[in-house]
Amino acid sequence: MPVPVLRCGKTGISFLVLLVTLTVGCAHLGPERYSPSVSGLPRSVEIPSVPFYPQQGHHCGPAAMAMVLQWTKADVSPLDLAPEIFTPSRQGSLQHALIAAARRHNRLAYPMKGLEALLIELAAGHPVIVLQNLGLWWFPRWHYSVLIGYDLSKDVCILHSGEDARRHMGWTRFMRTWRRADYWGLVVLPTGQLPASADEQSYLSAVLGLEQAGQWEGAAKAYKGALERWHSSLGALMGLGNCRYALRDLAGAEQAFRRAAKAHQGSGAAFNNLAHVLAEQRRYAEAIEMATRAIDIGGPKKSLYLQTLHEIQAMAKTRAD
Amino acid sequence: MNFSQFMRKPIAGIVILAFAFSISWVPAHAAMVSTDEILTQSQGNLDREHLRMLLDRNEVRIQLEAWGVSSEEAKARVESLTDQEIAEIAAQIDQMPAGGSALGTLVGAAILVFLVLLVTDILGYTDIFPFIKGK
Repeated sequence: MPVPVLRCGKTGISFLVLLVTLTVGCAHLGPERYSPSVSGLPRSVEIPSVPFYPQQGHHCGPAAMAMVLQWTKADVSPLDLAPEIFTPSRQGSLQHALIAAARRHNRLAYPMKGLEALLIELAAGHPVIVLQNLGLWWFPRWHYSVLIGYDLSKDVCILHSGEDARRHMGWTRFMRTWRRADYWGLVVLPTGQLPASADEQSYLSAVLGLEQAGQWEGAAKAYKGALERWHSSLGALMGLGNCRYALRDLAGAEQAFRRAAKAHQGSGAAFNNLAHVLAEQRRYAEAIEMATRAIDIGGPKKSLYLQTLHEIQAMAKTRAD
Repeated sequence: MNFSQFMRKPIAGIVILAFAFSISWVPAHAAMVSTDEILTQSQGNLDREHLRMLLDRNEVRIQLEAWGVSSEEAKARVESLTDQEIAEIAAQIDQMPAGGSALGTLVGAAILVFLVLLVTDILGYTDIFPFIKGK
């Protein structure tokens, strides 16, 4: 890299000091301290099983994703991932391209925010892809790294970044670069495993992404994982039923919808979907009973439940004729 | 206005494209409740929301293609995202950061910018120069 020759007079330097003060000072005065309010964290953590790929050109996105995908035992290289993730004329990778790529390899992509979640994930042994702005707000340099650990006694985090494996970076510097990227992070896990910091709604939304990507088996596994933590979650039960239905596992779908209907007697959707699955197994009398239950519950989707009942009645009639 | 004039209008084109595109998003069974509807508790006009989503999906896909992503790739990326995610992107695609810093891309930046970043690097506010690896 050609380094410009510097010839700075005194005026230049004072102007420079002023500019730096303004730039840095505007955003935040004084040193930033990180004070995680999470108790019981180990003093230091390092996940040794995360492989390292040095970044080629602007391809920090594909490199970071390859590292975490390989950690989940998916066999992909940064080169394989580049067409899935990189956006040529933006000379970089959009956050959603990373999310989509993880799903296309049948992995859960869970976006997270903030220091507490980051520390909880690392302590649980999950590496986290982070977006940083290494520059300043008016001169951004967006960059993806993979956090693989930290050492609280040395005040450093440990990351695979750019051409450096296991780089030790001071928390203060890291937090400044991360704050400029709105503390965005991404946890990528094999389906069925849950992020340690996950809340129910965000986790289910992440699993919905697997469904959207057509990864029905993976999504079903992930919903089952959710039920281990949130035992009667309506979203997880309905999702599990819908995935099994998409896989043509009618008995499995019936079981999930029955569980949903039993635990959530006010959910018309559970009875409605149960009715469909019963009808497809030609159990029309039971199906009509369930569709009627859904209509009785009513709600904003009542017209859909009526449609279900009519469909099933028509099916039963054709069958009888 | 005759039909061909109507067809030239970009909006009409997008709507027609959206419908062509919609074939891949028809739910398996018309009267089943999708997981998405359970999670988002959507109560509004589902048909209208669905159409809005298709337009958004198309918009994002077209933008990705304009940025040099191949059309099959753009389609595959968009199809792996949920309605909610697509809505987020459609709302602010131009402002989205694209992470891709290469080492040594400062060539051509003004000396002032170089100096400012050098100082902020040393102070620990930024992390631009590989030769400043302080904590």
